[in-house]
Amino acid sequence: MQNLASLRVPALDASFCRSPTRPGPFKAPALMTATTAAWLVLLCPIVGTMLIAVGYARWPGRAAGWLATLAIGLSFVFSVIALASLLGHSPDHRQLTSTLWNYDFSAGVDAKLQILVDPLSVFMILVVSGVSTLIHLYSVTYMNQDRGFSRYFSYLNYFVFSMLLLILAGNFLLLIVGWAFVGAASYLLISFWYRRTTATRAGIKAFVINVVGDVGLVIATFILFKHTGTVQFLGVFHAVPHTFAHNSTPIVLAGLLLLVGAFAKSAQVPLHTWLPDAMEGPTPVSALIHAATMVTAGVYLIARTHVIFEWAPTAADVGAIGGCLTLVVAATVAIVMTDIKRVIAYSTMSQIGYMIMGVSVGAYSAGLFHLMTHAFFKALLFMAAGSIIGAMAGDQSLDRMSGFRRALPFTFVCFLVGGLALSGLPPFSGWLSKDDIIAFLDHRGGFFLVLGIIGYAGALLTGIYTFRIIFRAFFGEPSPEARELEHGHLAHAEVPRNPMTGEEEDTDVGFPGPGHFIAEREWPMRIAMGALAVLALIGGLVQVPGIDDAVGKFLDPTFADSKFAHVQVKAGPAWLGLVVGAVIAVIGISLAYRIWIAQPGTSVRVRERFGAAYVFLSHKWYFDELIDFAIVRPALWSGRMVEAVLERSLISGLVTGGTSGAVRAGSAAVRRAQTGFLRYYAALMIVALSGVALYFLLSSS
Amino acid sequence: MTLSILIWLPLAVGLLAALAPRPLVGQVSAVGSLATLGVAISFLVRFKLGHAGLQFVTDKMWISALGIHYKLGLDGLNVALVVLTAILFSVSIVWCAMREWDRPRSFYFHFGLAESAVLGAFCAQDLALFVAFFDLMLIPFYFMVGMWGSGERVRATTKLVIYTLVGSFFMLAAAIATGVLAAGDNHTSLNFALSALRGLPLPHASQDWIFLCFAFAFLVKMPLVPFHGWLVDGYKSMPIPAVAVFSGVVSKVAAYGFLRIVLPLFPYASAHFQTLMLLIALVSIIWGTLAAFTTPDARLVVAYSSVAQLSFITLGIFSLRPTGAQGALLQMLNHGLVTAPLFFIVAAAAARAGGSELLADMGGIAFRAPVLAALALIVTLATLAMPGSSNFVGEFMILLGVFQAKSAISVIAFVGVVGAAVYALRLFITAFHNRTGPNVASRELALPDVAAIAPIVLIILVLAFYPQFGLRRSEPSVRAAVAPAQFQAGALGTPRRVALR
Repeated sequence: MQNLASLRVPALDASFCRSPTRPGPFKAPALMTATTAAWLVLLCPIVGTMLIAVGYARWPGRAAGWLATLAIGLSFVFSVIALASLLGHSPDHRQLTSTLWNYDFSAGVDAKLQILVDPLSVFMILVVSGVSTLIHLYSVTYMNQDRGFSRYFSYLNYFVFSMLLLILAGNFLLLIVGWAFVGAASYLLISFWYRRTTATRAGIKAFVINVVGDVGLVIATFILFKHTGTVQFLGVFHAVPHTFAHNSTPIVLAGLLLLVGAFAKSAQVPLHTWLPDAMEGPTPVSALIHAATMVTAGVYLIARTHVIFEWAPTAADVGAIGGCLTLVVAATVAIVMTDIKRVIAYSTMSQIGYMIMGVSVGAYSAGLFHLMTHAFFKALLFMAAGSIIGAMAGDQSLDRMSGFRRALPFTFVCFLVGGLALSGLPPFSGWLSKDDIIAFLDHRGGFFLVLGIIGYAGALLTGIYTFRIIFRAFFGEPSPEARELEHGHLAHAEVPRNPMTGEEEDTDVGFPGPGHFIAEREWPMRIAMGALAVLALIGGLVQVPGIDDAVGKFLDPTFADSKFAHVQVKAGPAWLGLVVGAVIAVIGISLAYRIWIAQPGTSVRVRERFGAAYVFLSHKWYFDELIDFAIVRPALWSGRMVEAVLERSLISGLVTGGTSGAVRAGSAAVRRAQTGFLRYYAALMIVALSGVALYFLLSSS
Repeated sequence: MTLSILIWLPLAVGLLAALAPRPLVGQVSAVGSLATLGVAISFLVRFKLGHAGLQFVTDKMWISALGIHYKLGLDGLNVALVVLTAILFSVSIVWCAMREWDRPRSFYFHFGLAESAVLGAFCAQDLALFVAFFDLMLIPFYFMVGMWGSGERVRATTKLVIYTLVGSFFMLAAAIATGVLAAGDNHTSLNFALSALRGLPLPHASQDWIFLCFAFAFLVKMPLVPFHGWLVDGYKSMPIPAVAVFSGVVSKVAAYGFLRIVLPLFPYASAHFQTLMLLIALVSIIWGTLAAFTTPDARLVVAYSSVAQLSFITLGIFSLRPTGAQGALLQMLNHGLVTAPLFFIVAAAAARAGGSELLADMGGIAFRAPVLAALALIVTLATLAMPGSSNFVGEFMILLGVFQAKSAISVIAFVGVVGAAVYALRLFITAFHNRTGPNVASRELALPDVAAIAPIVLIILVLAFYPQFGLRRSEPSVRAAVAPAQFQAGALGTPRRVALR
């Protein structure tokens, strides 16, 4: 019973890290402390998961979906309360920790069930819970007729719980827990339609690459623990500058291993191959996981551990180069993909590349600002894509989509808003946030200027591939589905098929349900998309150079110890950057207009002219083939080798065969004496025992 | 209540079951095993935290001429394992009791005997008594394979007998030598009590060969590569409840033996052979992982994963650090809790796939069995030590311990961490997901399976939130057990320090 006694909650009250006794001078009469609110932020989705899972088949109608939406909505409310409470503290006192009980507190490891509430984590939980609420709302309709409705929402709630845990974790161990939970939830949702072989294969791929990332984090934690003797964030960050020499091998190694984790989760080259395949999951899942939340975890990680990266600039530079490489690779592939969701997926990779680049070079508030605006417009793009896919009765190929402008007016407007924000046209949010990152790179100059220029090149490609979707799907001659829809008939597949392979399917559990839905007809989808469209339009206005700096100011306390804390891009150069960015976006869009609208057929001519380049890009730079050749095949081959050859010949043949051959000779004699093996065993035991005992007794006397 | 009641109660129940009227045999055994579990829990509740020493000690002279004691006791090293044993035997016997068996009286008697022997081996605080229980433990399993086994059961029995016989012989010789040499060198009378032997250190040369004998016996029993020749046939032939407890706890007796006997009694040799043991464990991790990738048989995936997991446990013990050893001990508990339900799940899957345990014959079993699939998923994720499970905390501590001792070996061992994700998910996906196999008839779990699997899954979930449960009791005892060997390792090799600052 002693263990129950120690389970009592020791500290739900906040303890101030920087000054344990003195509360902030501006403490407003808040509803609850920020840490209590943060614990409740975590509690809501986990309770939702459990209720839905336990109730499973008993929830009537769409109850499970509404319950899940309510749970995340409450999380958002508590996030807002946490924000209000945090703002009640003076900026110096906005770093709070709170502990429930010991988690792994033994033999020197000091991991408790502990959260860290500071501007960074509050900013992140606001974005995650806010966007997730809208995605839940959208899903209630989108998954309406799916036979796995309850299962879907319990997974979705579990995912949000994991993401919030990752963000609020107060030590490396809990961070890894949240990190892996996110990976598991992503696996579950990717292979949600589990009878689809393509989906289960994509799921295991995502999971395993994510485990590689986990391993990176674990080894990084080992290095940090070995030298600092703690796994708690604040302890480690405090100790790093005193423990490690600046840019010495161990700290660079730790930084690089953290990057392995960040790159695996954020789908950066070369650990990115799971993300396009992850589009096997239902479309709202793509919006939630593979756009708005999970893939930004790497950005969060680098921002959270910025102390380490600033103390190991080599690792930070590797991160910046990796992000830059990814933004180019992904943008080029996005131009040739024909699956609408995959184009958006590659676009996501590319945009995360900007963020990784930003936070690696010290543009923390810019990177996180882009994370926020990207969450808005990318979730919007996926939702709008889901609406088109609904109108196409599940078909995702851009080759078959055409002329949906009149059939899907609301979806069109939403997609256009999202597309303009993604391309970076003024005054949309993406324009302000992306150029914020590039302006910082230009400001640091030298090698970073090169990265900034590559960033502009990526922006050009962004405009092209984004409007490639818009011009192909919404303009031109209406496809049969679009024409039918103009007459009020929603297309319906005769036989449901896997959009990737064309295999026939049924609509029972484990395959998509029979119904398809478009935003024009379903109010929950319209509300979710409308809200995001408004945010994508005006969400960037919180941070306009020379006018406002809300995100940066709010995040300041987290990055107060940064050596870039006082680096401020002046309004002049910042506006110059914004103008350049806008011009590039316009050029990209007009190129797309020329290729797909003004002179149709240009794309075919370009493809023929640059055949080799096209093949290279449509094979996605051959990363899948490379990994298959270098890792998967050798592993399977050695597995077969061990299993079939070594096990059978060496172990069974030589070792066992030799031994049993010797014994068989003896046992033949025993069998002749009509003795069972047990008696033989007992006899041998006694003889051996007495023999050995006799020997030692004699020799010791 | 003494520990004698705990360890002999299962045998008494077995005898009672053997005398009971045939229809009641199963019920009697099930009630008896639950009573044993109750007794074990009562010890857990009364266990005092923060002490390194033995509690609930029973110490009687057994064979005074040879200095062999009947000495039992609990400390941090074995208290959790005793409870684990009682849990796994209870669920296995309950699982059996809801089915029909040939010759049930004999079957349940052997089960009771096995439980008594395992509990005895865990509680024994005398070297000779430990060896006696260790050997007694195997006899019921020979019979269970030989009489209730399936497939190549003759070959399986032969292999099991040969391997364990050879191992036991070495251990017996080593145990006797330990007592005799300790008494001879220190000019005391013969005494096999572990507490006495700890005070009588052996010379280095003797420690070395005695260590190798013990290590051989334990490595065969766990088993680790290349001492695992009996594994495939043995695990394939054993009836499901027998293999569940064998993999769940019998293999742990061997790992426990390292912590209880080898490290404290032969600290010099433990440090001397540290690298060898770590390398064996490392090879074994990779071997077990690779074999689990490709084997076509669902049960063998679990078997090879056990090889890999027990190799991790060995790795943790031979880090010779409290972190690694704590992790190893926690992982013994965790692995027992996942491997037993995995075998029951494989059995349930096979029952839905026309009786075949081949992965190729399975597929889509989740279709009409969401509860079975959910339980299987939780156990699968715990098996691959996903962070958030108690298994991860165990693995984390193990690898951290090895990282502190030999960083390179720890980093290479992470291959096993990634590999576990591959083979565990492969097992789950090919059995439960994908298109429904031709002979698969998906149906929901029946009560006996729920009764065996669900309670353990519940324990897994609780431990996931509070892994400290497994760590806090053991810390003082583990520190005491590892300290001499850690000291020797420090004296043997001057660890290279990375120059900082």
